[in-house]
Amino acid sequence: MPAPHLRTLTAVALVALLAGVTGCSTDAAPASDAASQPRSGGTLTWAIETEPITLNPHLYAQAKARLLVWNTFESLLSYDQQGKLVPWLATGWQTTPDGRSYTVTLRDKVTFSDGTPFDATAVKANIDKLREPGYAPAVAAVQLRNLDTVEVVDARTVRLTLTNPDVLILDFLASPQGAQVSPKSLREAKNLKAGGVDLAGTGPFVLDRYVPGQELHYKRNPGYDWAPPSATHTGPAYLDGITYRFLKESAVRIGALTSGQVQLIEGVPATDQQLITANPRLRLIRQLNSGSAYSYYFNTSRTPFDDLRVRRAFREAVDVDTVLKAVYRDTAVRAWSVISPSSPLYDKRLDGSYGGNATTANALLDQAGWTRRDADGYRVKDGRRLTVRLVQAAPFVRDRRDVLAQAIQAAVKQSAGIDLKISLVDQGTAQEAFDTNQYEVFDNSRADTDAGAALNLLLHSQGGINRTRVNDPRIDQLLDTGQATADPAGRASIYADLQQRVVVDQALLLPLYAPADQIAASTTVGGVRFEPTAGVPASAYDLWIGN
Amino acid sequence: MRQPRLRAVTRRLGTGLVVLWAATSAAYLALLAAPGDTVDAIVGDGADTPQIRAEIITEWALDRPAAVQYLDYLRRLAEGDLGRSYLLQRPVAEVIGEQLTATLTLAVTAAGLGVLLAIALATATAGHRRPWLRRASSGLELVLVSTPTFLIGIVLLTVFSFRLGLFPVAGDQGVAALVLPAVTLALPIAGLLAQILRDALDRALDEPFVLTARSRGTRESAVLLRHALRHALLPTITLAGWLFGTLLGGAVIVEQVFGRPGLGQVTLAAVTGKDMPVVLAVVTLSAAVYVVVNTAADLAYLLVDPRLRRS
Repeated sequence: MPAPHLRTLTAVALVALLAGVTGCSTDAAPASDAASQPRSGGTLTWAIETEPITLNPHLYAQAKARLLVWNTFESLLSYDQQGKLVPWLATGWQTTPDGRSYTVTLRDKVTFSDGTPFDATAVKANIDKLREPGYAPAVAAVQLRNLDTVEVVDARTVRLTLTNPDVLILDFLASPQGAQVSPKSLREAKNLKAGGVDLAGTGPFVLDRYVPGQELHYKRNPGYDWAPPSATHTGPAYLDGITYRFLKESAVRIGALTSGQVQLIEGVPATDQQLITANPRLRLIRQLNSGSAYSYYFNTSRTPFDDLRVRRAFREAVDVDTVLKAVYRDTAVRAWSVISPSSPLYDKRLDGSYGGNATTANALLDQAGWTRRDADGYRVKDGRRLTVRLVQAAPFVRDRRDVLAQAIQAAVKQSAGIDLKISLVDQGTAQEAFDTNQYEVFDNSRADTDAGAALNLLLHSQGGINRTRVNDPRIDQLLDTGQATADPAGRASIYADLQQRVVVDQALLLPLYAPADQIAASTTVGGVRFEPTAGVPASAYDLWIGN
Repeated sequence: MRQPRLRAVTRRLGTGLVVLWAATSAAYLALLAAPGDTVDAIVGDGADTPQIRAEIITEWALDRPAAVQYLDYLRRLAEGDLGRSYLLQRPVAEVIGEQLTATLTLAVTAAGLGVLLAIALATATAGHRRPWLRRASSGLELVLVSTPTFLIGIVLLTVFSFRLGLFPVAGDQGVAALVLPAVTLALPIAGLLAQILRDALDRALDEPFVLTARSRGTRESAVLLRHALRHALLPTITLAGWLFGTLLGGAVIVEQVFGRPGLGQVTLAAVTGKDMPVVLAVVTLSAAVYVVVNTAADLAYLLVDPRLRRS
């Protein structure tokens, strides 16, 4: 795996070099706030970290690709700043009291960029396609698992009938996977699953050029007039066009921005944020992602984490604030729950309720029978060292999570004599460790807009990534009720109970930090914002260029 | 006269095919032996249920025995079908085809630049004419050979793109964008080739034919360029295979740093994602190019050395 290694070394090499560069580049235009009045016209270049695996929104799987999806495609619903669902291509929806039927009314006079009108038949064609075997197995098996039938009531109305009550169907309708692709494209696109210029959507931009390994170019869709209420303007996009260039090295992205070759970048590592904030012609904005917090999940099916006291002890042994400060300086926001603090479902009572007490950690481990110490200072019981293994798949390691693991390793050794073994391996080896139950710690964060969707996968006894291997009827019941409850207040209280159960009573995990995204932009660019609720960079719709 | 030549050509082709088959099979076995199966690779870090797994197995016909899948792969390869990428969901021939030109342009430019630089350095410093220049050049070459490619790339970018604004940072945007990546890739090559070339030149300059040429009153520069250099090129040509390997390996890093499209990036993504059809295609393609390059090197000996033509 040369990439992570390369990145670290590059960063080291750059610290000295870039410091000199930014120092010399103050000659041009004086610092100006983004000229206050939005105006139309112009083109921008945005350097992004990740080249999407696919450009087909139905197969979307990378949170880093979300800002691209919404340029070309749109969903029936969207989220506002408060995490409330609002209509987008739909005008509204109604639920029957039993929660098994959703009737969605659709906007009129919307057309796909290939001229196909958007109507109830198109919606049905999209959902039918998603359920076609071999097309989008992950969507069919997870998001649409409770969907029974889709019927076209009239041209402006569709009805979804469910086998079980499932409020997450609305989250699906607001997700990239639920985005509307022109039925003509679904029938005729050459490489449908890869997506590309021949997939038409209803969005404010049209993808007109894709150079793999280099860039994507979008041009304005002049007929666009159906912005979601969460946008800051209506009508066509301000920009004539926008280019997204793939620059995988953060040092190169920052160099391209400071030298004015690009006007926006995303993905600014903690160590480099100083370079942006110190430059008067640039600004940095940050936002927490939705979904689940980055956490260490304890495998409860094996010793030593089958013992609640050991799980508690591990959590008390880590002073999370100190560790985060050491690795991320002051840029990371600590998480206290399995749910990201930015989610409306987050239970605030958990703030500061546990952790960081080495005395408690040691007392708990003594109680659990791990009383002796070996020559290296690790605790021992029945001749076995208190070793727990964390397996990280290198391709999915981001935010310097490998470095964070080393800091935690040092912390638990020093304060409680726990031996945290970290292996950074390829994905196949990691998968094998999970399949054969050869791990004690599993690290993960998920960027789902509705945290409930993430929790179903992570904590349900039947969940797709239930790596704690917990099988607790109470947790399953809370998850199932949460998924079936439409009333927001009722739902929040169910998930509050769930968080108490999982985080406090069962201590199934050690929440670490809330994943976040960063955008650095030239001060001449206006309308730079994050997508409400999701917390990832928004599409280019509201962007404009000042004077 | 004709029969032996035909036989030689047939043998050459046969060897080439065996090399291709061996490279492909070795890669196939290595991927098969690596932990985790293809389904794991396709599932990635997303949701993972038996239903999803079953669909993936059906879609890619992964339920057949490994030997059958291997033979089927070879058969399709023989028919020129490289298959479909597991991760990118597109035909492999298309994925590689659209990246080939970019990498080829970069590699050929870098190779040409590297060889020219090496010849310039070596001819300027061979012999015992300018010991100080020779020492300086030799030191520089050593530094270039031992510096990681990405560091050279970052330094060049920082100075010439971020600071002086002479070249664009990224992408395949004509000649200007090719300069920095090509120089980055060429410098280590020039460093090593120059060392070897100077060594060979030194030895050639001690040969009796040089003395003969000098005694005929040939100018020193002509002695160097027309006689000694030609002689010294032989060991350099032998390095063509190495050169090709270095270019391919270097392209992975250079393309990543400069955000340039190309095979290097495709390969890196395919290897980390265990995208078997793409990895196999890149290996097979590399083996094919390797065979071609080495054959070309053998032919080049004949051009450079008249003594070999006679036998």
